[in-house]
Amino acid sequence: MISLIPVVHYEEQSLSGDLRMGTESVQPIRIAKYVRPQQEWKEIIAVYLYLAGMGAGSFIIGILIHWMGAELNPLSIPFIELFGVRLDLAKFPILWGPIMVSIGAPFLILDLGIKWRFMYACLNPRTSWVARGFIILSIFIVFGLLILAKSLLPFKWLYPESGLWLIPEVIAFVFAFGTALYTGILLKATKSVPLWNTPLLPLLFLASALSTGSMSIILSTLATGLLSYNSGAMKALMYGEQIFLAIEGIVLYLFLSRRYRASEQGKDSVRLLVTGKLRYVFWQGIILLGFVFPFVLEWISKYYQNSALLFIAGLSLLTGGFFLRLGVLRAGIKDQIPMQRLMEIQYELIQNSKSLPTGR
Amino acid sequence: MDQKALVVDQQKCTGCRQCELVCSVYHTGASNPSRSRVRVVKWEQVGIYLPMTCNHCEKAFCVEVCPTKACHREPEKENRVVIDRNLCIGCRTCIIACPFGQPFFDAQERVTVKCDYCDGDPQCVAFCNVKALSFVDADRVQMAKKREAASKLADLLKQARG
Repeated sequence: MISLIPVVHYEEQSLSGDLRMGTESVQPIRIAKYVRPQQEWKEIIAVYLYLAGMGAGSFIIGILIHWMGAELNPLSIPFIELFGVRLDLAKFPILWGPIMVSIGAPFLILDLGIKWRFMYACLNPRTSWVARGFIILSIFIVFGLLILAKSLLPFKWLYPESGLWLIPEVIAFVFAFGTALYTGILLKATKSVPLWNTPLLPLLFLASALSTGSMSIILSTLATGLLSYNSGAMKALMYGEQIFLAIEGIVLYLFLSRRYRASEQGKDSVRLLVTGKLRYVFWQGIILLGFVFPFVLEWISKYYQNSALLFIAGLSLLTGGFFLRLGVLRAGIKDQIPMQRLMEIQYELIQNSKSLPTGR
Repeated sequence: MDQKALVVDQQKCTGCRQCELVCSVYHTGASNPSRSRVRVVKWEQVGIYLPMTCNHCEKAFCVEVCPTKACHREPEKENRVVIDRNLCIGCRTCIIACPFGQPFFDAQERVTVKCDYCDGDPQCVAFCNVKALSFVDADRVQMAKKREAASKLADLLKQARG
């Protein structure tokens, strides 16, 4: 097999030098000009994917704690007064996920060309995954905020102890999974980007949502004193978070190795991410901040019983979660069109076209 | 109506980019190639120019991913794929989905735009001086190549006969 891309520093490739026509070491056209990651979805979409994933993940973990009836410490500030209404904050540190999703969703609208027309997408749910996403997110936000409001408001006519509240809780729980998965499905549905066109991407985003979600719940419960550092629930949460992180690491490895073998552009995307222009995002952002630091710091914090280190580990993991979305978004390279391959063969831009893996 | 197709002969194209200008003038009223629906792609390594425009694919990814049905097919008008600018929300999903990199985001109108065959009379074809672009019936797209192959075969047969 011919190695088509010896060094993947795309921005440093030039058309001069040995790329002149007719020389021996002619490089394929796509390296010089056409291997470009997509430029349409950038940081705004990454922020949306991150907040939606993290918010949904934290709600899943929070509602599980709520259902399991873990023993929660009374808060140092148990309530606040707002417009004469006493808001009960006892469950707020575990049920704030929908607020994050509500903050993230406007970023999707912010990225639109004509913002007020987002309603058009809501009105056509059967057309595409973008439209279905609006519906999934809306349902999750409505039911999630309803449950959060129920936990905050002290009104007796809400019957907070009623078993009927389980119905909206289950709906919100299911749609929280939907929201976490949807962030990956949105990218997968575009089809022409081989890096994204795999069921492993929704799975990766779900694993990341659960790891960042559980870590954010750990941070919020620790910071507010809802769970103490040595409590059983906190230990279970930390074990769970590390398991999610390990699963996320395995899925990330599978995702990258499968995409590397999937097609030429899948391979280019992985190279761009791992050794190319985005290598700092990958190694420092995703691997170091997202995996290595949290694992090491959590282990040290357990050893020394130091919760401050856990906070640093948490913030590092949450930042890593954002870089994961950003890296996957920015490394998306479109599939090669058949005409381009035809040109390469016609003008002998590749030395032996038969030896190239097709992968499709 | 029969399906028609815009055919490009890259051997004839000189890269003058007149097609881009007439396209933008026709659609936007401005002589601004960045708002054109056709883009001339340079392949400097081999020294060719290729006007790239929408292929109006049989199985169009842009139609599949559009969340508002702004991007749709019109079977009654040359079976073309068009974007309704009054419905487009500018999400750019179609741009990412198209493997040919075709729909373009118009930064002034804030919507995605694409080739609509100028309602049956493509201006790029009308104004192409070297006739690198042609608008033909879809079943006649390969006719020129078939003729070329047939003439080559005839030459070979003549040589074989001596």
